[in-house]
Amino acid sequence: MADDKYDAIIVGAGPAGSACAYTLAKRGKNVLLLERGNAAGSKNVSGGRLYTYALELLEPDMYKRAPLQRKIVREQVMLLNERGSTTIDYFDPAFGEQVPQSYSVVRAELDEWFAGEAESHGATVASGVLVDGLIEESGKIVGIRSGADEMRADIVIAADGVNSLLGQKAGLFPDAAPNSVGLGVKETIDLPDNLISARFGVKDTEGAARVAIGCTDGISGGAFLYTNKGSISIGIVFNLVEAAKQKRQVQDIFQDFKMHPAIQPLIEGGTSVEYGAHLVPELGYNGIPKRLHREGFLVIGDAAKFGINTGLIIRGMDLAIVSGLAAAQAVLETNSPSQTGELYMKQLERLLLTANQRAYQNFHNIFEISRIFSAYPNLANDAMQFLFTVDGKTPKPMLSGLYGAVKRNVTLGQLASDGWKAFRSL
Amino acid sequence: MPKCLVCYKWTLDEQDIKIKPEDLSLDASRAKGKISDFDRNAIEEAALLVEKNGGAVDALTYGTATVKQSLKDVLSRGPAKVYWIADASAESADAAVTANVLAAAIRKIGPYDLILCGEGSSDLFNQQTAARLSALLGIPCLTFLQKLSVEGAVVSATRKLEDGTEEVSVTAPVVVSVLSEINKPRIPTLKQVLGASKKPNEEIKLADLGLKPEDLVPKATRSSVKGFVMQRKNVIFKESSAADNVAKLKAGLASEGLI
Repeated sequence: MADDKYDAIIVGAGPAGSACAYTLAKRGKNVLLLERGNAAGSKNVSGGRLYTYALELLEPDMYKRAPLQRKIVREQVMLLNERGSTTIDYFDPAFGEQVPQSYSVVRAELDEWFAGEAESHGATVASGVLVDGLIEESGKIVGIRSGADEMRADIVIAADGVNSLLGQKAGLFPDAAPNSVGLGVKETIDLPDNLISARFGVKDTEGAARVAIGCTDGISGGAFLYTNKGSISIGIVFNLVEAAKQKRQVQDIFQDFKMHPAIQPLIEGGTSVEYGAHLVPELGYNGIPKRLHREGFLVIGDAAKFGINTGLIIRGMDLAIVSGLAAAQAVLETNSPSQTGELYMKQLERLLLTANQRAYQNFHNIFEISRIFSAYPNLANDAMQFLFTVDGKTPKPMLSGLYGAVKRNVTLGQLASDGWKAFRSL
Repeated sequence: MPKCLVCYKWTLDEQDIKIKPEDLSLDASRAKGKISDFDRNAIEEAALLVEKNGGAVDALTYGTATVKQSLKDVLSRGPAKVYWIADASAESADAAVTANVLAAAIRKIGPYDLILCGEGSSDLFNQQTAARLSALLGIPCLTFLQKLSVEGAVVSATRKLEDGTEEVSVTAPVVVSVLSEINKPRIPTLKQVLGASKKPNEEIKLADLGLKPEDLVPKATRSSVKGFVMQRKNVIFKESSAADNVAKLKAGLASEGLI
């Protein structure tokens, strides 16, 4: 084999790229995995959760080797208003008993491990390399450019993240539109493990995942909070278009959230060790570009805008891994490069990624109900305040008290139209 | 056509080291490794010299088991081969021990015309290794270099002094230590990164260097390392008029004996 020709070049050593490289290398393909950061994971600011089934698809029991943080056994949904909070808390220590359902992860560690797994199967991993172009010959993608260097491959797989430069260079889709991505701001706060466990009511190996609405100044968006080993990942994802129209800076809104009386005690005494911001795919199924391949070229992971956000669950990494696997299987399935793209789309179907995306395809419409981000969380807290107030005065009849809480926040007409919209989206 | 050797140290990246506020101790648990900053200049200078004059450049390092992580990195920056000594003794080594080990290794793999070091390491910055190395090898030493050139066996250099520069030349072999301003280290290209994995590396066992036990005993032993934190007074002047604030600031500075 020539020195500068590979079976596959994968650009981006995140979960999608590494899953793809791992699968191909394991099956004996000569793979080059390129990473722009100084090491895989070094540019990543995400702290989040990984649904373990995806690693299980890649290789049974692989998750046992992975640097995972805490097994999520507590799911919490928080509705915030200015002072108060109403929290729904679902706890099940046996959640996903055979194969645990999800873990919190720190991507800097996970990505480094994942790229190392690919390397141990013979993939060549080169980091600190910026890929800035594609080589195209007679309508096909035949390699990549990095500065003055060129490198060729039978297939180039773009796993270069939400702003995929390569997908654009390949002419598959334009630069991400502002309404197609959310802006996530996130902080990692170091805290002793025993404090984290006590504050979230879990054992030291277990963790909680929390989502919160009502903390975004009315901007479409929500907060998340994950417990790691020795740290907490906390952040907010904002609708980019609405955030841009606001006078207030998103970091100030985020700061208010951290200082909310219901949140501050969770992070009190901690040390902020990392602060970052990143774009995340927002539109779910409807945001996925129509074309994810052309001859000699596939797009996977965030670059393909795979993502699911139901408000309760936020998924990206698992879909990235599944798409990396799909691309690898497509490459392994055929020797005819003109077939690979179609096979990749079929693999996405077969591995149920497309079905998962499609199941939630209208879900995003719910987030167009602006009252979800302020009026309804406020309503919930008003109702709770009524239900739990004991002051010795004659209590109002239950229904009229609750109706009062509703009326203070929304009109019946709004309630009916929002309910109908939500019903249709589900 | 000089035969060059670059000595480098694999240090912790100081950006990742945190100072614990309670006792000012250092937390390096999340720190990754890197080639010491000035050593990167030394590697670059050797690579530039060889690209210009021909010849060859090898690299040599002594550290704990973590030095293995540095091999691909250093080879992507120009050297044709790297020799590495990984031993637990490096953990507590001072410049004397380091120079003893490097000199013994150079006697084994050498001779070299030009031995390049960084002026000081990113972590301890003792600025002793180059000088000690030259003494042990019995060859001259040029420090504080901001410019270096080689013509035949003559090595010419510009040394940066506190308030001036000095032009010097010596006949090789020679040990030099370079400043960061001598060049701008390259960011290895894709081909250089990939080429690095094809270049040879050779482990040298410390036991094979014929060093005496006392050669490995540090002359200076470290009893503690503490971070330095600037204690701020956090005084905020909140008078309504700017003039009053200025007056208070002036009085405050005066009471501290600063004006």
